[in-house]
Amino acid sequence: MARPPNTQPMSKSYLPGNTNQPFSTRLYQLTQRHRHWFFIAPALIVLLTVVIYPILFSTGVSLFRVTFASQSRPFVGLQNFERMLGNDDFIQSALNTLYYVIFSVSGSFVLGFAIALLIRRVTAGKELLRLILIIPITMAPIVVGLMWNWMLDPLFGLVNWFLGLFGIPGQTMLAQASTARLTVVLVDIWQWYPLVFLIIEAGMATLPRAPFESARLEGVSSWMIFRRLTLPMLRPVILVALLLRTVDAFRTFDIVRVMTDGGPALTTETLSLYLYRTAFTFNKLSRAAAGSILMLLVIGLISALMFRYLYRDVEVG
Amino acid sequence: MKVVLKDLLKRFANAERAAVNKINLVIEKGELAVLLGPSGCGKTTTLRMIAGLEQPDSGRITIAERDITDLAPKDRRLAMVFQNFSMYPTMNVYENIAFPLHAIKMKRKEIDRTVREVARLVNIDHLLERSLRQVSGGEAQRVALARAMVRRPEVFLMDEPLSNLDAKLRVQLRTEIKRLHQDTGATFIFVTHDQEEAMTLGDKIIVMNNGDIQQVGTPHEVFFGPRNAFVANFVGTPSMNMLSGRIVADEGGYRLRLPGFELSLPARFADGLGKMKSDGVIWGIRPEAIKLVSAPGENTVSGQVELVEALGSRDLIFARAAEQLFGVIVDAQESVPVGAPCHLHFAGEQMHLFDAASERSLLNDKPPQSPHRDGGRLCKDGDIHRIATNSPP
Amino acid sequence: MPVPTSERLLAYVILIAMAALVLAPVLAGSITAFKPQIIWVSSPPTWIFEPTLENFEFVFFTRKGWQYLRNSLIISFGSVAMALMLGVPAAYAFARFRFRGSKALMQWLISLRMIPPIVVGLPFYAMFLYLERGLGIGLRDTFPGLIITYQTFLLPLVIWMMRGYFAELPAAMEESAMVEGYTRMGALLRVVLPVVWPGIVATAILNFIFAWNEFFLALILAGNRTSTLPMTAGTYIVRTRVEWGNLFAVNLLIMAPVIVLTVILRRQLVKGLTFGILE
Repeated sequence: MARPPNTQPMSKSYLPGNTNQPFSTRLYQLTQRHRHWFFIAPALIVLLTVVIYPILFSTGVSLFRVTFASQSRPFVGLQNFERMLGNDDFIQSALNTLYYVIFSVSGSFVLGFAIALLIRRVTAGKELLRLILIIPITMAPIVVGLMWNWMLDPLFGLVNWFLGLFGIPGQTMLAQASTARLTVVLVDIWQWYPLVFLIIEAGMATLPRAPFESARLEGVSSWMIFRRLTLPMLRPVILVALLLRTVDAFRTFDIVRVMTDGGPALTTETLSLYLYRTAFTFNKLSRAAAGSILMLLVIGLISALMFRYLYRDVEVG
Repeated sequence: MKVVLKDLLKRFANAERAAVNKINLVIEKGELAVLLGPSGCGKTTTLRMIAGLEQPDSGRITIAERDITDLAPKDRRLAMVFQNFSMYPTMNVYENIAFPLHAIKMKRKEIDRTVREVARLVNIDHLLERSLRQVSGGEAQRVALARAMVRRPEVFLMDEPLSNLDAKLRVQLRTEIKRLHQDTGATFIFVTHDQEEAMTLGDKIIVMNNGDIQQVGTPHEVFFGPRNAFVANFVGTPSMNMLSGRIVADEGGYRLRLPGFELSLPARFADGLGKMKSDGVIWGIRPEAIKLVSAPGENTVSGQVELVEALGSRDLIFARAAEQLFGVIVDAQESVPVGAPCHLHFAGEQMHLFDAASERSLLNDKPPQSPHRDGGRLCKDGDIHRIATNSPP
Repeated sequence: MPVPTSERLLAYVILIAMAALVLAPVLAGSITAFKPQIIWVSSPPTWIFEPTLENFEFVFFTRKGWQYLRNSLIISFGSVAMALMLGVPAAYAFARFRFRGSKALMQWLISLRMIPPIVVGLPFYAMFLYLERGLGIGLRDTFPGLIITYQTFLLPLVIWMMRGYFAELPAAMEESAMVEGYTRMGALLRVVLPVVWPGIVATAILNFIFAWNEFFLALILAGNRTSTLPMTAGTYIVRTRVEWGNLFAVNLLIMAPVIVLTVILRRQLVKGLTFGILE
C-alpha cells in the first residue's frame, strides 16, 4: 500500500546565503577536526620509535656485514639472507619451530577447548577449579621451564619417582634427541592451554541461549549441537585463540632456553634461540638481523592470512 | 532565544552523503520545535551541532543573534538531555544535579538551594540522597531533566529523551516536558523518530530525511498538508494509503487511473496537474479519510474485509479492493467482520497527490507560513486530528 | 540446561586430575624452597621435614636477591606507568573519535602483538650500542632503557584494553558534562576517569604481570645493574650442580605476587590476554 518514497531535497534556503567563513571558524574547525592527534600522538611516537624504527634499523643492518667487534661495515646486499637460507642450522631451527607451532598449538587447543567444555558441566567448586587451572599461564615461562627441569630430573625428579612406583625405569627425556622435543612441547602445552581455555570459555559465555535450547527441544543430539551450532558460532573466537597461540609458539624462547638450550644436537633449537645465539654468541649481528626479518615476514604472512579469515565474520575493533 | 541555522553542512568521514545537507532553519524564541525523522535522517546530528558536540563542515549557528558556531559546548549556554541516561554513576542524585553548578563556581549554599528547587520542580526532591542504582529509568530521566534545568538555560536540547522508557512513563514524562516548556518559557528543540510524540509535543515540527528538511510546520500542517510523499508516508499511524497512478485528462477535469480502478479528481488539483511534465502521480489517502458506504458509487471501490485490528473506540480494517490492500479506520460500532464485503469511498477533498518524479505535493509546493493554513481548510472534522495523534502505537 | 549426573561426575574427575597436574609441580617445587639443603635432591623425595627460610636468606642476601627484586619492581612499575600515561589518552581517542585511518591504526596496533621479541630485541641491542659509542648516551643496562623497550609489548596492550573500557561508557556521559560547562579535559578527569578507574587498575595489573615475567628483552638489554628476578633464576643452574632449594626460593618470589594478582584479576584476565581482539 505505502511505497517507500524517494524524496528530492526541498528548497534549501529561507535566508540569504553566505558561505564565506571567517578565519576563526577555520582555525577552530582545524583543532576540532584533529583533536584526536593530541591524544594519540605521544603513544604513536613512542611506538614508532620502539617498534617501527628498530625493524627498519634491523632491515638496514641485514644488508651490511656488521659485527659488534669490527668498525667496518661493508654493504653486502642480500648476502646475509642467502647465507641464512643456505644454513643447515637455520633450516633445522625453522623446522623445529614449525614442529613447536603445529604440536603446541594443536595440543593446547584441544586441551584448552576440552576443559572449557567440561567446566560448564561443573557446579560446586567451579571458581576454585578455574583459578587453579589458569595458574600456568600466569607463571613466567622461565619459571615453568626451571620447574619442569626439576620435575623431569632423571635421578630425583618427581616424574621419574612417580613412574618408578609403577616399575618404569628412570628416563632422561630432556637429554635424548628422540624425546627432548616432545617433552618441551608438552611443557609448553602445560603452560599455554589456559589461554585457549579462557578465550573459548569467554566466547561460549557470549553465545545466545535460544538456538541451543530450541535445538535441545527439537531433540538434536549433543554431538550435532556441538558440530552444527557451537563450533560454527565460536568460529571467530576459535580463530583468535589459534592466532594468538600460533604467534606465541612461533616465538618460543624462554622455556627452551632453560630446559635444553636447544640441545641435544639442536633438536630443540627454535628460531628465536638460534638467532639469539647467532647474534650474541657468534657475534654475527647482520646475519641474525636477516634471519629475524625472514622470521617477521613469515609470521606476518601467517597472521595476515588468519586475520583475513577472521575479518570475514567479525568486526575487529 | 531564537535559534537560527544557516546552510549547516556536516559530512562524516567515509560517508557517502552528507549527514546534514546545508539546512536552514529558524526556531523562534519560546518555541517547542521537534526534529522528526527516521534514524539516520540527520536530526540528531543537527541537534549535536547546535550543542557543539559535532562541528559543522560549514554554515553558521546563532542563538539570540549570537554566533555560537565556534564556541565550545560549555560556552553555548544551553542544556541537553540525552537518550541513554547520561548520569554520572560515581555521584548520587544530588551530586549529579549539582555538578553543572560547580562548573560555574557557584557558592555551596546557593548550589544547595538551586538543586532543591529544581528537584522539586520535576518531583524528585525525595530522591536526592539516593545513589543512581536506587532510581528507576523514569526517575533517572527526571534527574537528567533537573540537571539540564539547573543552570537555567534558555535553550533546551533533547535527544530522544523518552525512547528508552516504557510506554506509560513515556506519556507521563511527555506531559511533564510540555509543562516544563510552558513554565520556563525557554526554547526547546526536541529530537524524536516517534511521530506521535512529535505531534503531541511540538509547536513546530521539522520533518527531516536523508539530511534534508522535508517540511516545517505545525502538527496540523504536516499531518493534513504534507509537502511531499515522504512526509505523507512518515507522519501518521497507521500510515497513509498510497498508490501509483496515471492522470488522464477528461472533459473539463482530470481523472486518476489507479491499478484496478479510476477516480475523478476534484478541481483543486487542476493548478498543480496543469504544471506537470508527465502523467505519473502518487495518490494518497489517510485511513481516517476512507468511508465505508452502503452501495457502490462515484469514487468508490468494492472489496472484502481481510483483517480487523481493534484500536479501542476505533477499529483499523484492512480491506482488499481492486487487488490493493487499504487501511481504513472506522468507529468500533460501525465495524465490519472479517470476510464481509464492503464499499470504500474516497472523499475527493481528503486525497493527496504527489508528482511521481519529484514526489512533491501537487497542492502544497510552497513552505507553509501561517499555522493552521492548510489545517484549517482540511480539518473540518476536528475528530480526525484527535484520532491521528492519540491512536495507540 | 540440566546436566546428567554421570556426565558431571566425569567432568569433575577429568578437571580434578588436570588441576592436580597443574598443582603438583607448583606445590612440590614451592615446598622445596623451604627444604634444608641436604634434602634438596633426596630420592625418593622427602615430604616431612622442618621448614627453613635459609634458602630465602641465601638468595636474598648472599646472592643479592633484594637487588634483583628492587630492579624488577622499578622496571615493572616504571614501564607500566609509562604505558598507562601514553596509552590511556590514546585509548580514549580511539574509543571516542572516528577519524580517517582510525580503524587502520587500531589494526596496526593489533598486528604489533604478532612481532616476535627477537625482531625488536636484536636491533635494540645494536641501537643502544651505537648510541653509547656515537653520542655517549648510555641506555644499555639502565632502567630507562628497559622501561622504554618494554613499551613494545605493554603500550599496544594498554591501548587495546583501555579502549574497550572507554567504549563501554556511553559518550553521553562526558558530552553532557561538556554541555553543562566543562571542557573535554574537565569532563574526562571529573566524570570519565572516576567511572573507568577499575578498568585502569585491571589494565595496570595485567601489564604489570607481563612486565614482571618478561625474560627475553631483559636478557639482551639488562646487565649487572638492572638484572631482573627472572634473569637471576637461570643463574642457579650450573652445569654441574643445581641449587634447587635456592632456585625455588627465587621462583616463589617471582610467582607469588603474580598469583595473588591473578586471584584479584581473574575476571578481567581474558580481555588482556586476548588483546581485546575478542569484542
